[in-house]
Amino acid sequence: MKLEELRKIRERVQNDLRLRGGAARVKIVVGMGTSGIAAGAREVLSAFLDEIEKRKLTDVIVTQSGEKGLASKEPIVEVIERDHPKVVYGGMTAEKARRVVVEHVIHGTVVEGDVLAIVDAEKE
Amino acid sequence: MAGRLDVLVCSGGACMSSHSLEVKEELVRQLEAHHLADEVRIVETGCMGPCQYGPLVLVYPEGVLYKNVAAADVAEIVSEHFLKGRVVERLLFRSETADRIIQERRSIPFFEKQMKIVLANCGAINPESIEEYIGAGGYEALGKAVTTMTPEGVVAEMKASGLRGRGGAGFPTGTKWDFVRREKSPKKVVVCNADEGDPGAFMDRAVLEGDPHTVIEGMAIAAYAVGAQHGYVYVRAEYPLAIKRLRSALEAARKLGFLGDRIFETAFSFDIEIRVGAGAFVCGEETALIASLEGRRGVPRIRPPYPSTSGMWQLPTLLNNVETYANVRHIVARGSAWFASIGTEQSKGTKVFALSGNVRNTGLVEVPMGTTIGELIYDIGGGVPNGKRLKAIQTGGPSGGCIPVPYLNTPISYETLKELGAIVGSGGVIVLDEDTCMVNLARYFVEFTASESCGQCVPCRSGLVRMLDILDRITRGEGAMDDLALLEELANTIKRSSLCGLGQTAPNPVLSTLQYFRDEYEEHIRHKTCPAAVCAALFVAPCEASCPAHVDVPAYVAHLSNGDFAKAFDIHMKTNPLPGICGRVCYAFCETKCQRAQIEEPVAIRDLKRSMADYAMEHKLAGPKPRARNGQRVAVVGSGPAGLSCGYFLAQLGYETVLFEALPIAGGTMATGIPTYRLPRDILKADIDRIVRAGVEIKLLSPVEDLDELLADGYGAVFVATGAMKAQTLALGDPLPRGVVTGVDFLKGIHVDGTSEVGAEVVVIGGGNSAIDSARAARRLGAKHVTIAYRRAKADMPASPEEIAEAIEEGVEILDMTSPTGVVGGGRVEGLRCARMAAGPFDASGRRRPVESDQAEIVLPTSMVIVAVGQEATGELLRGAGIEVAKGGLVPVDPVTMSTSRPGIFAGGDATSGPATVVEAIGAGRRAAIAIDRFLGGNGILEPEERVEVATDYDEDAYTQERARAVPPMAAAGTRIRSFAEVRGRFAKEQAIEEARRCLHCDRKQTEDGVCCGSSAGEAAGATTR
Repeated sequence: MKLEELRKIRERVQNDLRLRGGAARVKIVVGMGTSGIAAGAREVLSAFLDEIEKRKLTDVIVTQSGEKGLASKEPIVEVIERDHPKVVYGGMTAEKARRVVVEHVIHGTVVEGDVLAIVDAEKE
Repeated sequence: MAGRLDVLVCSGGACMSSHSLEVKEELVRQLEAHHLADEVRIVETGCMGPCQYGPLVLVYPEGVLYKNVAAADVAEIVSEHFLKGRVVERLLFRSETADRIIQERRSIPFFEKQMKIVLANCGAINPESIEEYIGAGGYEALGKAVTTMTPEGVVAEMKASGLRGRGGAGFPTGTKWDFVRREKSPKKVVVCNADEGDPGAFMDRAVLEGDPHTVIEGMAIAAYAVGAQHGYVYVRAEYPLAIKRLRSALEAARKLGFLGDRIFETAFSFDIEIRVGAGAFVCGEETALIASLEGRRGVPRIRPPYPSTSGMWQLPTLLNNVETYANVRHIVARGSAWFASIGTEQSKGTKVFALSGNVRNTGLVEVPMGTTIGELIYDIGGGVPNGKRLKAIQTGGPSGGCIPVPYLNTPISYETLKELGAIVGSGGVIVLDEDTCMVNLARYFVEFTASESCGQCVPCRSGLVRMLDILDRITRGEGAMDDLALLEELANTIKRSSLCGLGQTAPNPVLSTLQYFRDEYEEHIRHKTCPAAVCAALFVAPCEASCPAHVDVPAYVAHLSNGDFAKAFDIHMKTNPLPGICGRVCYAFCETKCQRAQIEEPVAIRDLKRSMADYAMEHKLAGPKPRARNGQRVAVVGSGPAGLSCGYFLAQLGYETVLFEALPIAGGTMATGIPTYRLPRDILKADIDRIVRAGVEIKLLSPVEDLDELLADGYGAVFVATGAMKAQTLALGDPLPRGVVTGVDFLKGIHVDGTSEVGAEVVVIGGGNSAIDSARAARRLGAKHVTIAYRRAKADMPASPEEIAEAIEEGVEILDMTSPTGVVGGGRVEGLRCARMAAGPFDASGRRRPVESDQAEIVLPTSMVIVAVGQEATGELLRGAGIEVAKGGLVPVDPVTMSTSRPGIFAGGDATSGPATVVEAIGAGRRAAIAIDRFLGGNGILEPEERVEVATDYDEDAYTQERARAVPPMAAAGTRIRSFAEVRGRFAKEQAIEEARRCLHCDRKQTEDGVCCGSSAGEAAGATTR
């Protein structure tokens, strides 16, 4: 074992432990109420997790919430970034989820077409 | 697929014993069932800390902490939280101060003030995964030390960090390392002392179970620094899980090359073995531990040579404790300057404490040195549960001492605790409430050390047994005052002449309790009583022991349970002649110690007493017959409860007794201060009339101005019970506008003079019962808005919680943390200016002192201000008789005989104690009557007959099943405020009999060991020795 080898192990594991760090840059919340799940929220959630892992994003966490009361727009996803207004997307699919990761989470460009609302954090 | 949630299940010892593994297994099943196994990872961790609330489950990324999770809760957590994102609220923590639930771990007060260095990984990573340890930065410090630092450099860092041995003695770690480093020997040894043996201490176990690699890494760095090749962990066999996790960690470390040959491809080689000890307490002593490691009998030897020169196999040996090693990697990784920036001048870093005993949040906590004792107990520990008062904390286990309440602001460090006669020790902290007997506590620790003494040296082997004999005698009520000096002499001799630390520190619990709680020893010896109702040989039952008048509660309640109200009444009159009054306004100390509370709730003793007293009143029962007159006369000054009680018992003993009362009515504060809705005056009159019929003459409108005149008049003795009737005032303005009155005058006006009027808005200042009485009386007189302004927190109000609740029901508003500074208004008061307060440091009473906050002053508009901030005695009468009067007008008296410094003059009640309760005054009056009888030539025996246990005529076993406490009818708040009629109703006869049958008969002593009741501090500490 050399010091460099140790550090390699650490980097690999750290990615694995990132959920417990609590200091994520972006938090993606997938609405997982009954209607959300019926509209395909599971697949959306899986797509997010998969895309994030593929792109080795260590500062993004995915979590879930209950019903938002907008059944017609499900699956609904919120993207919360520190110091930015919260972006709410509606009618998500697995494909759209992957696009949100690439365009919004990585490049910082909101995917305009799917936005339901942009909410100022202070107004909540 | 990557994980979405990490679910950490605490697998520390405490959580495992509350079935956390079943929770984990159910989690696995439920995740499978919901096809979440790929997204959700389950991690078994070490101790998370708040052991009280186990099993604990921590869910990341949100950091949601669930408590008391049962396997049956898992399905809901998975389907609601993991699947739908709805946190399961009923399993969350609840704030102790505000009524809110707390979702995230980091917002729970228990964690907020902690600083986790040693325990950083405990409860955060899987202790059986070396990868998780590496992910959290593990083995980086070892790599850094062996590849970039010289051994001397590592030792220098340790010295600069200021780390001191966490095993208890606090010896500077770097210095110890330097000693071993300097020894010229090709072979050296590193030993980890994991022989944790103090009752109530479990921090080493938690580290070994929760983060074993941190100890391994610390030991490896130490070995590199001192030049050792072999390491041993000496761990007790009672820690099987720690041994298992350590063993698997050692294997994993070897596999990755952190142990073994050429570590990090350097010339440094090192490996560690586990040695399991049989659990002898003395093996925590370093030379005994080494003897045991070598396979010999674990007994200490004389030092020097110290292990650093000649230890294991006569080799230079470095011996540190688990927690000390756990600090090492952090110091190496982050630098000594970082470590030295935490803590106090001489005590650096953090310390792990195991909180146990009478505290809400028991468990493991880690705080920076310098955190105050009060912060540890209240902010982190959540304070004392069940409405009990804090008495002391015990630190350092059997080698440590007790710290009483006035020292809550003491910052924790090796030096400060030593100054107080306690020690930091290994970090056991036992919180003791008012129900702890300090003599019994000392006895418990001496019993422990006496049985753990290795027997090698005489002072420890024989001396501790002698101390135990004496303490046993005292707790049985057979002690003598000389015993205390003997205890101290033995203690000091044992400390000076014992061979090792066990004997040198074993007497500490005795010395420290003698220092702070000598009065409790004296109570046991002189009065043969145990104030905490623990030492079973000294009382009838806990209720009787805690009653200031020592009413034989079990006997009268047993008579009630048989339906025999008259016999119950006779028993009561033997010790307390005011049953009607006490059945209404007594503080019911008896109920706070009632053992029935361990099943559900205390027996409703006060309400039972009322039923009995009302029966006696309605049937005109007289109570026991007095003795024939003996021709001697005694004068009593004051007709409050102390005077009435003393007069009654003197009459029972055959004296001609005359009570002098200055006012036109008898009863003292009971007549002038206690509102009629709590104590109807016909009840007061009935109790007093019975005393008059028993032979006491009461002279109203007869103020006494000169005690010598009374003595000259032929009274053989005088009992002075003039109360504490003078109201204390506040400097609210000069001159004061109209509308500012004292609570004393306000209440007296209502009940004696019939004059009180109130405005629409009333503000009452104060937090005691007379403030509550004033407020509730003001509501009844028609005040629309009554506000109580109190300078401390509501929880610190001295008024009884029951009274406070009833006042709030009646619309009284309580504004706490509000301290009046002055009145507004010229002719008539218009408002009260108040400063808003904040909680400051702890005061001598253990409450947080209110200090001015930065909030702006407020003005409460009002047309009347009632100042009810306390009362005091004047001491005038006694001063006039040449008796010295102390501060606050109080007269010093002997607590048993109530005699003053002048023979023949006795005093009691509020006049000697300051404002207290009716039942305390009754007890004082009775004690004085007995002493006066002795003074005048009698034998002082009020009850010649032996106590007999009362047999019952129903199936007692049927009543030991859970059964709710009976509640008497209460008038509705809306009705109550319309008049001064009595608020509380009484039990129907059958209901009273049923309630009395809930008594568990703690007075019966036929059980095998002669004990059927009481709890001991030892049990509070989780260690029973009976």
